[in-house]
Parts: sequence; structure tokens; C-alpha cells
Amino acid sequence: MPQVKIIAKNFMDMVAALPAMKLDKLYENTFICEAVLRSLPPLAKKYVLQMLYLVGPITAKSMEEWVLADGLSKHRGAIDRLLQLRVFLEATDRKKETSYKLNPKFQDSLQKYLVYGGAVPTEPMPSIITGRLPTLDSLEAYALEQWECFLLQLISSGQPERPSSIGSSMLKVFQRGLLSSRESEAPKLTESGFQFLLMDTNAQLWYIIREYISTSQDRGVDPADLISFLLEFSFHSLGEAYNLNTLSEVQRNAIKDLADLGLVKLQQGRKESWFIPTKLATNLSVSLSDTSSRKQGFVVVETNFRMYAYSSSKLHCEILRLFSRIEYQLPNLIVAAITKESLYNAFENGITAEQIISFLQQNAHPRVAEKTPSVPENVSDQIRLWETDRNRVEMIPSHLYEDFPSKDVFEAASDFAREIGGLLWEDSKKMRLIVRGESHQDMRDFLRRQK
Amino acid sequence: MQLLCNSCRVFLLMASTASKLYSDDVSLVVVLLDTNPFFWAIAKNSNNSNPNLSFSKFLNHVLPFLNSILLLNQINQVVVIATGVNSCGYIYDSSSSPPASAAKSENGNMPGIFSRVIQKLEEFVIKDQQLSKDESVVGNPSSLLSGSLSLALCYIQRVFRSGPLHPHPRVPIDSCVVGAQHSAFLQQASYITGGVYIKPQHLDGLFQYLTMVFATDLQSRSFLQLPRPVGVDFRASYVPHS
Repeated sequence: MPQVKIIAKNFMDMVAALPAMKLDKLYENTFICEAVLRSLPPLAKKYVLQMLYLVGPITAKSMEEWVLADGLSKHRGAIDRLLQLRVFLEATDRKKETSYKLNPKFQDSLQKYLVYGGAVPTEPMPSIITGRLPTLDSLEAYALEQWECFLLQLISSGQPERPSSIGSSMLKVFQRGLLSSRESEAPKLTESGFQFLLMDTNAQLWYIIREYISTSQDRGVDPADLISFLLEFSFHSLGEAYNLNTLSEVQRNAIKDLADLGLVKLQQGRKESWFIPTKLATNLSVSLSDTSSRKQGFVVVETNFRMYAYSSSKLHCEILRLFSRIEYQLPNLIVAAITKESLYNAFENGITAEQIISFLQQNAHPRVAEKTPSVPENVSDQIRLWETDRNRVEMIPSHLYEDFPSKDVFEAASDFAREIGGLLWEDSKKMRLIVRGESHQDMRDFLRRQK
Repeated sequence: MQLLCNSCRVFLLMASTASKLYSDDVSLVVVLLDTNPFFWAIAKNSNNSNPNLSFSKFLNHVLPFLNSILLLNQINQVVVIATGVNSCGYIYDSSSSPPASAAKSENGNMPGIFSRVIQKLEEFVIKDQQLSKDESVVGNPSSLLSGSLSLALCYIQRVFRSGPLHPHPRVPIDSCVVGAQHSAFLQQASYITGGVYIKPQHLDGLFQYLTMVFATDLQSRSFLQLPRPVGVDFRASYVPHS
């Protein structure tokens, strides 16, 4: 079975992947520097701060003196990250000594920050114009509803009646990867689409944003512009109104797409229109540092494979349906059973046992979440067993070696194969060997040397 | 969490919020500034190796340092407490202050946090001075360092109590002494609590000292080379510890 895994890659990896010129341009913006700095490992942050007011480069050797012996691996990790993001620039002098210095643009922006302090990118609008803004609770409810609606759309996209409230550019994002749409058929969820549904909200958000950025070129938008706007956007404060008219065309379009996801709420006044960031938008900035906020769980799994989900959400019901049989639904409760058939269905769709179990653990009802394990062991073991049932045959590309000239050569070869960890099977009577494909080159070299 | 003790002085108290909810380098830094006018008058006029560190120059180094702590993590918190001759008081708390732009400074170009800290400091010093008028002062009165230390520790306790996990905070007291003499009190305080005590040689680069040493979160301290005490003056003095 092919292992399709959606790696909810860090936003900063995308930043690091930008061409050097664009990255340097981004660093003229203080907010981006701030966001990038905060995403760094602690030690790396420290180094930036330490070198902020140094003019010349520092040799790698003298930097190593800053750390204790057990910190060396962390030190290397920090330096690597700094180089990837072009926060540090590497230089090698005539004596082949490596030295580092801060990216001058980055340095400049952060020096400004230290003097002027953190500000907000744009002023919120005064309440005289906007009138009364929605309360934080209603804003959160709105964001959640919008997000669920968006996910539901994904699930129900296989079905013909589809309310098309989602803008076309967001839909395109899905179609890449999550939905497979062939001309003749209705769009269907792909393997990664099913896996996507079981991820937690932050990971989902990241996946979408990442795809949104990487498809931006198709829409004629420069990814660097979009990244810089999204980074800046994460510094807006929750529940405040911000003027739409001060934004550029690209940014306004991005805001509209974000509104589809529930990251912002758009409102229209008499003359002006504005957007209000919701909790999802602030999650965006939190996930810059990979911390996930926990939602309250709702699922109780019993040892008899029964599952009770305290939820009235249609989305939850649909997600549970991915791997269980829904038996009945009460106003606030979904009762389902995990069966062999329902799981086989899930495995067929490319969902793995681990994903199901971690979904159940992450969404465990508070009552059972306190217990360890939160999902009964017999249930989680059985889910894994049923999965391995399907994978009885494992395919390993390999090579067969036979017709050895002598017993000695055969034994030497089999010992060598064992040593490099490539031996799969041997038959000493008939002098035959099966060795992993990737070890073939080594084996050949070895046998040639034997001659 | 850290307590930066800026005494004759910078004095820093730090404690890292060891709560698992956050990534591992969150810091709450409580900075105690010594505003003792008698001390600063001497520091300004002294003609020893480090002449002329006026209080305002000193603030030029400390305020960007506060900003740098806030820069490192969006949930870092900075609290400033002033230590006077007759009283101590809270000057600044980043968690309760409005974002910088909302409180655009009235006096020209001075950035938000700076003007707020300076204004509150002025108010504090004037009030502190008025208190001392009643009594006749003999010699150089010392600052109420233990008073402000207690304030800081109380504050940290409160933060942790209100948190979800009630961990027992480890609060190292870091001290940065800028006066002519070493402070036995702070040497001991830092020694007992596992903090760092330094007395910078070159006061022009005070900011660099501050960020090199005191901006290090507690997690990273176990990987980095930090100044070690050269010698601690163990003559009796009382340090309140949590």
C-alpha cells in the first residue's frame, strides 16, 4: 500500500523555499522579521539577538564557544535553520574558515523593532464608523460554522447537490490533492483528502494555506506577496475591524478567500467595508510556532467497539462515518459502531489505523480523556490488527544471487549481506541469496573484489 | 520566568512558564530598576573606570532590552518594578498594556513603551521623593531592594496560580550591577537561586550584556556558556526566596 502522508509542513519552510532575492525583499518588512524570528528554535533566536548590533561577521568556531558540550547538536540545528531562512549569511575566507553574519536587511528591521517596539500593521477602525462589532463569542461561532461548512463541502463534494458558497480559488485549492476530478465523473475525495479530514484544525488550516500559497502563481499572484501579507495578517488583533479599502488588490482578494474559510468576517458599512479577524486567524499565527490549541473532545469509545459522540454537528457525523457505522443519531448524540467492514472501507480510502486511533485520542470526551489510554486498548489493538490483515504481503525490491563458484565465496557474500543489513533470505544448500535491491551495488562491488 | 534585578544596579528576575501548553521558551521577566537618586548621582559623577552612566543613558540600554524580550515570543511578558528609597511600585506590565499603536505617544516621536515607562518612572520618583521629605536623611539611604523583590515574587506566584497547571516556578534572580561596588546581597541572591550575577566592565555596551546574558530563556541556559560567579560575598544578608 503506498504511504500517502500529508505532512502539515511548517509555514516557515515555505518562506525558506523562496528565492534569495525575494526573501531579502521580505525582510524589509518588520512584521515578517518578527514572525520569522519567533518561529526559530530558542537557541537561534538567542543568536540573532546577540548578533543584532555586531557589524562584522563572527567565525563559526567562536560561535561554538558560546555553547556547552551537550548543546552542540542544538547549536548546529539552530545554525542550519538560520542559514535556511537566510537570517544568517555564510562566508568563507581565504583560510577556509566559515563565518556568519546577520542578513543586513533582517538586522536593520529588527534594530528598528527594538527601538520602536511591536506595533500593529494597520490601525483598527474607530467604532464610530463601524458601529457595534460582533462579540468574541459570536465571532468564534461564526468562524466555526464557516469552517465546518467548508469541510462539509469537501465531504459532500462527491454528491451532486452542492451549495457553492466557496469561492472558486479556494475550490481550486482542494482540487489539487484533496479532490480528484475527472471530466466525466463527479469529484471524489482522494486518499489525502480522507486523511485531511482526520487532522486537527490547525494542521488542516496549514495544509489549506500552504496549498493556497503554492497555487497562487496559477492565479497570477506572486507567492512572496501572499506570504508577506499572510504573515502580516497574523499580527492583526482578534475582533477588531480593519479597513478593506487600504489593502491592495491582491490582498483584498486574499481576504475574500480567507473569509470563505472563516478566518475573517467581512462587514459592510454605509461607505466603508472592513474585515474582522476571528480566532482561526490568530491560530494562524500560533501555528507559526507549531503549538496547537486543543478543542474540547466529544467521543467516547467503549470496549465493545461502540462509539458515542456527543455532538450535533453534521461534520462530526460525516467524519465518523469515514471509519465507523452510524447506528442512530439523537439531537445531541451520535451512536456508532466500529466494525471490520467500516474499517476496511476506511483503509480502502487510504486512511491508516494510526490516523483513526490518533483522531479518537485527540477528540476524546473530557471524561475519558483523563484516563490512559483514552481509547480502550483492545479496540486500538484490533484496529491495528485489521489493518495489518490487509497487508500480509510486503513487497521489497530485491535481487537473487546464485551460481556461487564455491562455498567460501557464498558464505562470505551472505555474511557481507547480513552485515550491511540487506540479507532477506538464504539457502546454503543450493547456495542462493536474496538481498534487498538497494544493497545491490554494494554486493556487486563486494563480489567483484572476491574474484 | 526570570527576575532581572537591575540594581546599582540592574536587577532581573526571570521565571519560565513551564506550562506544557506553550512551546518551551516562554519567559516572564520581571525587571527591578533601582531608582535611588543618591546612587545615580554618584554613578553619574564617579570618575573611576566607568564614568558617566546617567540614569537616562542607562534607560537607553534597558528599554530596548525589554523590547527584545517581547520580540522573542508572542506570549513573553515583561513587568517593570521600580525600587526607590521609600517605596516600590509597578511601572509597566506588557500583559495589561494596550498595543503600542493604540497609545501613540503624545510627546513627538518617542515610541509607545518608552514614553509609558518613562512617564510612570517620573511619577514614581517624584512620589518617592516626597515620602522622604518628612524624615531627615542621613548619608546615602539604600534602596528597598527586598521590598521590590517581594513584590516581584508575589507577582510571579500570582501568575502561576492563575495558570492552568500550577507548576512550582523556578525563579532565578539575575543581577546586573552597574555601580562602583559589588553588591553582596545580589551576589547571594543570584547564587542561591541559580541566576547570573554580572558587573559589566564596559557600560557603553550594557545592552549587549543584557541581551547576551539575561535574554536567555531558562531552557537554553542549560546549553549555553553563561558567566559564572567569580566569588560570592557570603557576609550575612537576607534574601527572600520563594
